[in-house]
Amino acid sequence: MKNRVKELRSAREWSQGELAERLAVSRQTINAIETEKYDPSLPLALKIGKLFKLPVEEIFET
Amino acid sequence: MDKPNIMESVEPGSGQYSLKADLRLNAWLLVATVTHVAVRILIKKQTEWSPLTGGMLALAPLIPGLLYVRSWVRFIRGLDELQRRIQLEAFLFAALGTVILGAVASSLNAHGVSTGLLKNGLGLGASFMAMLCFWSIGWGIAKCRYK
Repeated sequence: MKNRVKELRSAREWSQGELAERLAVSRQTINAIETEKYDPSLPLALKIGKLFKLPVEEIFET
Repeated sequence: MDKPNIMESVEPGSGQYSLKADLRLNAWLLVATVTHVAVRILIKKQTEWSPLTGGMLALAPLIPGLLYVRSWVRFIRGLDELQRRIQLEAFLFAALGTVILGAVASSLNAHGVSTGLLKNGLGLGASFMAMLCFWSIGWGIAKCRYK
């Protein structure tokens, strides 16, 4: 699944570690999401949307 | 927010290794191993014990073994979703690998082919060691997949 997590994170000048901390996940998870090797669960996707103040469908697209 | 458990905290040489986290997770493994060795020595020395007593004693390492499983379950519950998936894949790989190894060993034994160390099938210790090896391989594969 394509996503804009890397773009949104970079715009805020956050490192993967910082984003991971804000979402209470590991840095490896952020990296796997950004490289599109892993699709997050719905609760995590909602958390990402809430953090970036965007609807989930604007961050993730099929 | 609660920090998730990370596997690197129990992986020596990872840069994030923590002896405290490692002990919290693996202390019961140490107890189980020591109990297993002690029980084996005791059983070898005491030949006059009834089979029931010997059998009960041989199963003693199961108690710390179960507590070890409990500490793993707690640790895995604290992992984040990707790490949990990686661990579930690794444990599935370990369980299937051990079953296949046991089946191969007993099949070869049944047909009279000597399998050396596994001539009596997989015992408690060998099953555990096989699972540990397969888990390490499974973990490595899963880690590479999501790297």
